[in-house]
Amino acid sequence: MEVTLLVEAMDNSFRLMENAKTQAIELLNSAVRLTSETRAVEKKKFETIFTGAREARARVQNMIATFGILFVFWLVLSAKFDLFHLSLGVICSGVVTFMSHDLLFANVRVGDIRLMLWRFVTYIPWLLYQILLANFHVASLVLSPRMPIYPQVVCFKTKLESDMSWVTLANSITLTPGTITMDIREREFFVHALSKKVADDLSTGEMEDRVAHMYMEADHIYIQDVLDVAPIFGELRRTL
Amino acid sequence: MIHVSDDIIIRTLARILVPFIQLYALYVIMHGHYSPGGGFQGGVILGASMVLLLITHGYGETKVRFSERGAVIFSSIGLLIYSGIGTLCLVFFGNFLDYGKLSTLLQVVPAHARSLGILGVELGVGFAVMAVMFSIFFDISTSGELPVDE
Repeated sequence: MEVTLLVEAMDNSFRLMENAKTQAIELLNSAVRLTSETRAVEKKKFETIFTGAREARARVQNMIATFGILFVFWLVLSAKFDLFHLSLGVICSGVVTFMSHDLLFANVRVGDIRLMLWRFVTYIPWLLYQILLANFHVASLVLSPRMPIYPQVVCFKTKLESDMSWVTLANSITLTPGTITMDIREREFFVHALSKKVADDLSTGEMEDRVAHMYMEADHIYIQDVLDVAPIFGELRRTL
Repeated sequence: MIHVSDDIIIRTLARILVPFIQLYALYVIMHGHYSPGGGFQGGVILGASMVLLLITHGYGETKVRFSERGAVIFSSIGLLIYSGIGTLCLVFFGNFLDYGKLSTLLQVVPAHARSLGILGVELGVGFAVMAVMFSIFFDISTSGELPVDE
C-alpha cells in the first residue's frame, strides 16, 4: 500500500518535472525568438535610418559642390564683378543646380572630393609625361624605313568600379599615341594598339592602378569613408 | 525613334557636360546686350543640352527635368515676357519695344532702363527658343508617340 502510494507520488512528481521542463524550454525558445525578432526589426530600422541619413547628406553635399563649381565657371565666363552680375550668376547657377544637381556627381563615392581633385592634379603631369614618351615611340615607328608596326586589339577586364574611372582610363588610353579605346562592354576594355611595346606597356596596368588610386577604388581601403560614417554611427547608437 | 546610347563614355561625358552647357547657355542669354550672343543663341544652346540628355539618357531621365508639358508652358511664358515688355512700352506712350520709356516705371535713367529691357526681352526669347527647339526635336524623333525606353 505504502509502496504504491510512494510510486504514484514519484510518478506525479516526475510528470510535473517533465511539464515544467517542457514549459521552461518553450519559454526559453519564445524568448529567444522574440529577441531575434526585435533585433531584426531594430536592425532594419537602424539600416533605413542609416542609409537615409547618408543619402540625404550626399544629396546636400552634391548640391553644394555643384553650385560652387558652376558659380566659379560663371565667374570665369562673365568676369564682371558688380553686384548685378554676381546676383545673376547666383540665380543662374541656382537654376542649373536645381535642374541637374544629380548629374555631375551621379556615381561618386562618399570619399573626399578634395583629395580626389588633388590626386587628379598630380595624375595629369604623369599622363603628359607618358604621352611624351609614347609620341617619341610612335614617331620612331613611323620614321623607320621598315615601319615595324604590329597592330593588335588588346582586351582586358578592368578592376575599376565606377563609370567616371572607366571614362578617365579610356580617355587616358586614347590620348596616349599608339593606343585607342574602341569600346567598353561589361567592364571589358577593347583597345587597339599599334605595336608590341605599346600593348605590353598597356598590359602592365600601371595606368589602371593610378586611376584606381585617384578615385580611391579597387585595392584601396576607404579611410575617408570610415571617417565620414563614424559620427553618424555614434549618433545613431546613442539614440537607439 | 530615340535609341538610347549604350556607350558608357558618351553617357558619362554627356552627364558631366550638361550642367556646364546649361550654365553657358544662361551666360550667353544674360550677357547678350554687350557681348556676342543673345536670347536666340542661348536658347538654342539650352535646347541642345536637353537634346543631348535625351539622346544619351533617354526620355525617362529627361522627363524629370524638362518634359513636353514644360516645353508648352515655357514657350508660352517666353512669348508672354517678350510681348508683355513690348506692350508695356506702348502703355507708357512709346513705340513697341521702346525700352527708354520704361525708365519711369523702373525708377532709373533711360540708358539703364534700355539695358534692363533688352535683358528681359532676351530672357523671354531664350525661354521660347529653348522650349520650341526641344519640342521640334522631340516631335520629329518620336513621330508623335510617347516613347518607352528600356
